[in-house]
Amino acid sequence: MEHCIGCVMTKQEQVKAIFIEEAGEIIEKLDVDILRFEENPEDFDLLNEIFRGVHTLKGNANAFGFTRLGEFVHHFEDVLDYYRSTHDTISQDQLGLFVDSVDIITEVMTCELDALPDLPHGYEGCLEKIKALIASKKDAPSPAMIETVAEALPDLASEFTFSCEERMDREIAKTIELLQTQQTEGTTLYKVELTLDKDCYKRGFDHLLFLTLLGEKAVSMESFFDMETIEPLERFACDENGIKKVVTLLLTPQGIEEVRENFEFLFDHEYAITPIDVMVADAAAANDDAAVADQTAEEPAAPVVEKREIPDRRQSDRRGGSDTPSVTASKSTIRIDTFKLDELFDSVGELVIAQNFIAQNDKIRVIEDESISRAIETLSKITKRIQDRVMSLRMVAIRDTFDKMKRVVRDTSKKTLKELHLNVQGEETEIDKTMIDSLSDPLIHIIRNAIDHGLEANADERIAVGKNAEGNITLRAYHKSGSIVISVSDDGRGINKEKVLQKAVQRGVVSGDENLTDSQLFSLIMQPGFSTVDAISDLSGRGVGLDVVKTSIEKLRGKIEIESKEGEGTTFSMVLPLTLAIIDGMLVQAAGEIYIIPTLSVVESFRPEREIVHALKEKGEFVSMRGQHIPVIRLSDVFNLPTKRIEPWEGILVCVETEAGRIAIMVDELVGRQQVVIKPLGKALAKLKEISGGAILGSGDIALILNVDELRPLIEASRGGN
Amino acid sequence: MQFDGDVLTIEPEMSMEEIRAFEQFVRPRLEYIETIEIEEALPVRSSALISLLVSLKRTRPEVSIPFIEKGSTTSEGYGTLHWMCHD
Repeated sequence: MEHCIGCVMTKQEQVKAIFIEEAGEIIEKLDVDILRFEENPEDFDLLNEIFRGVHTLKGNANAFGFTRLGEFVHHFEDVLDYYRSTHDTISQDQLGLFVDSVDIITEVMTCELDALPDLPHGYEGCLEKIKALIASKKDAPSPAMIETVAEALPDLASEFTFSCEERMDREIAKTIELLQTQQTEGTTLYKVELTLDKDCYKRGFDHLLFLTLLGEKAVSMESFFDMETIEPLERFACDENGIKKVVTLLLTPQGIEEVRENFEFLFDHEYAITPIDVMVADAAAANDDAAVADQTAEEPAAPVVEKREIPDRRQSDRRGGSDTPSVTASKSTIRIDTFKLDELFDSVGELVIAQNFIAQNDKIRVIEDESISRAIETLSKITKRIQDRVMSLRMVAIRDTFDKMKRVVRDTSKKTLKELHLNVQGEETEIDKTMIDSLSDPLIHIIRNAIDHGLEANADERIAVGKNAEGNITLRAYHKSGSIVISVSDDGRGINKEKVLQKAVQRGVVSGDENLTDSQLFSLIMQPGFSTVDAISDLSGRGVGLDVVKTSIEKLRGKIEIESKEGEGTTFSMVLPLTLAIIDGMLVQAAGEIYIIPTLSVVESFRPEREIVHALKEKGEFVSMRGQHIPVIRLSDVFNLPTKRIEPWEGILVCVETEAGRIAIMVDELVGRQQVVIKPLGKALAKLKEISGGAILGSGDIALILNVDELRPLIEASRGGN
Repeated sequence: MQFDGDVLTIEPEMSMEEIRAFEQFVRPRLEYIETIEIEEALPVRSSALISLLVSLKRTRPEVSIPFIEKGSTTSEGYGTLHWMCHD
């Protein structure tokens, strides 16, 4: 949820904001799960999970008046419900319809949020297909029914067709009706669901403990224990909760907040309280008693119960999220505004600075007292621990982003008619949350590019060069030298270096005389407007993609590396810093001032031999390295620092990689390498392109962080454009 | 807890520790137990006991556990409890 400074949200707006956030999460999960299900259409546990997500979405959508979304998910839910209960075979076409339905849900959600009058294209068509599908299934007897009819007496069929959960729903519906007859003015009927974690007994909690607490003020109370998941003795442990769910119908004079107080020590996902609206129920019952009776027989009464429920925002029935892998479900989580995290991070940054100040303060260091030294050391350790832990709060696994990419791969594969296999590695790799949000678009483009242009045009072309008919795309995330690398590899044609060079010369990007390394040559394809593709597809090849990708990654203070071998494939690697809030920097000194060069850009640093330094009139100084002439840029010149002019071989050159090629930054000395907390610059300094931020050093001094990409153009301008 | 011939009688008000001890006791002896009875004068105190009894029944359906078989119990403290088992 975005932080709204100066805005005061009403309760209703807050609840709506929570709904929107949760609905977004459910839809994202649906998108991923539906693809997983498409890969494995016999995984009915997964189908159940998808159903629960859709069910939750339906309830919430209707509660907030998003009727178009509500209607669509209502019918989609019917279809899912049919398949999850019957385990009927799902055809490829039907799977395709499921995937399309999730797309429509995403689009309708946008329409609802933006209050757009028009429904998305395809809404009606998709809805009709869903309705037709469910109608065709309702007309035909379900496989489960056929089996039951064959094996049991007809009057027992309905009894055995229902699962434990369905029988429970029927009983609950009946009990609701019964309790409503007992309801008097001033009492409310609640449905309380307890889904306690496996370790609840060890935490001192027990279902009966909560039921006893509820019972203290209850007028009437009935509870239903779903014991379907209780294992036989060989897999059973009595101190681990195996009860799937306990539903309590509670008639009480208490308000919802009082009821909720009983569960204040439970995690949010372990309980849900839903008031049951009598008026709606009565009206529904009065309007169509016969219909309700029929429905009860046909569909275990669940629809009747749903009509009466008013979702409680905190109960949120977050089964869509909490029913994900069991490991995740047992973790306790708390939702925090990222703005608060940023504030906390800033405060910790200040703490680190203050701690460094104490540790490096000369006046303190001269005190030869062991207890003070020990206290400073302890402070340092604790500060580091706090810093690491706060840092970890911003880190999230890249799994979700990778999951989204599976959809991109699927769709691109279908569009390009290329059979391929996606390998995903390192999904657990954690990355700064802020960066995750900006990574999707570049990643989508690189993946599409890899499938569209990286892989051979068709299976025949692959077979002809001795490869498998199916192409391979590998998505990988890993740590490397303090950075995070996200790479996309294909086992396709590889980049044709000659073609790239030819195109670059044609476009005047290079003269053709340069002795370019492979890396430099490949990086040419990231230049604006550069494309070696003859035909433009709707996926990539417009020549506007990769440069945008490059810019996006550079905004994240990262860089793109390309490796390719003709005939074997290409790998695009996005090398990113661990976080946007801290930078690994090389501290250098020039004219008495300390500057920070991002370590990610540094190639090497050295004191040059006199022989390799050259100076040309009006073209400035150069250093010759391995056949390359690299311009030397004096930091004192960049910032007009008053200093005694020394020769390059008397100073230190730090060679850095920039957008415009390598440059050697001349400094007086190297101070060290350290992680620094980035502080934004004030308005006055923000205009200086050659500086990207500031940092407070342990000494309390401020050091500026260099934006190395802006240094070369600056010097070239001062040398008359050469 | 009393074991009289084939009938094991337990008290419902078991603590978690007692349930654990009961589990340890009953595991190796389940084959020989015909009936598990519960003195219903007092209410069950922990859902872990109900789970254990369901698990016992699931492991050896022949064992008679009237408390579980009747599917519900009522107490003044927590009203009526129903349990739904798949089998």
